Amino acid sequence: MDTEARKKALQYFFDKVVGPMGFKFTPDVELKDFLLEQEVMLEAKHGIPFCPCQPMRHDRGRDMQIVCPCIPFHREHFDAIKRCWCGLFVHKDVTDPNSLPQLSPKDVGLE
Amino acid sequence: MSDKFIRAISTDEIAPGGMKTVELNGHEIVICNCGGTYYALARRCGHMNAPLELGTLDGKFVTCAMHCAQFDVTTGRALSGPVPADMGNESPPPILAAFLRHVDMLMKHVRTESIRTYETKVEAGWVHVAP
Repeated sequence: MDTEARKKALQYFFDKVVGPMGFKFTPDVELKDFLLEQEVMLEAKHGIPFCPCQPMRHDRGRDMQIVCPCIPFHREHFDAIKRCWCGLFVHKDVTDPNSLPQLSPKDVGLE
Repeated sequence: MSDKFIRAISTDEIAPGGMKTVELNGHEIVICNCGGTYYALARRCGHMNAPLELGTLDGKFVTCAMHCAQFDVTTGRALSGPVPADMGNESPPPILAAFLRHVDMLMKHVRTESIRTYETKVEAGWVHVAP
């Protein structure tokens, strides 16, 4: 597989999904490139582009909740912190992703 | 127009985002309408030979209906292999489980190859392909 071509394809598909949910790709181009590359590697291994920052539990029901973009499954937390866990996606109004505090679900009152 | 091109279909035969199969000089070819630009590629999926026109075309990416392998229709490049099937949480009957293990063992050796593309040209409302 061609990693660069697959990264572009994933970007195309993800962009169409996350936009209507109020998210966009992080403006940190280097981070975006790195995370997409990790997803391409995960997809090559497992057949599915799982979130690169979450452990797989080998329980399909739970693992499918970390398939990128996993926003619909963790929407409340992501909306509260204005980003997804790995930082590939941020709210559309975010211009400086590094300024976003990293808060746990407990910190934002979800647990 | 060069002799190598053959008139294949009229441009209004495929809506944007659609695909249609033609056979030219013995080649099975899928013509894709990507927003008014026409691309032609070999009909058979580079994974397990399923007919690609039964899949979906999104932008310049075609997804095979059989195992969801994806290809770039502009280059024919394989972008991803098969997506693992959901077998559910219940264990299949032993005889089926044995068969699935056998299939899984075989499938591990199947590679997803890039597929051939063909030159296209639109002239006077017709899509021409060079097979």
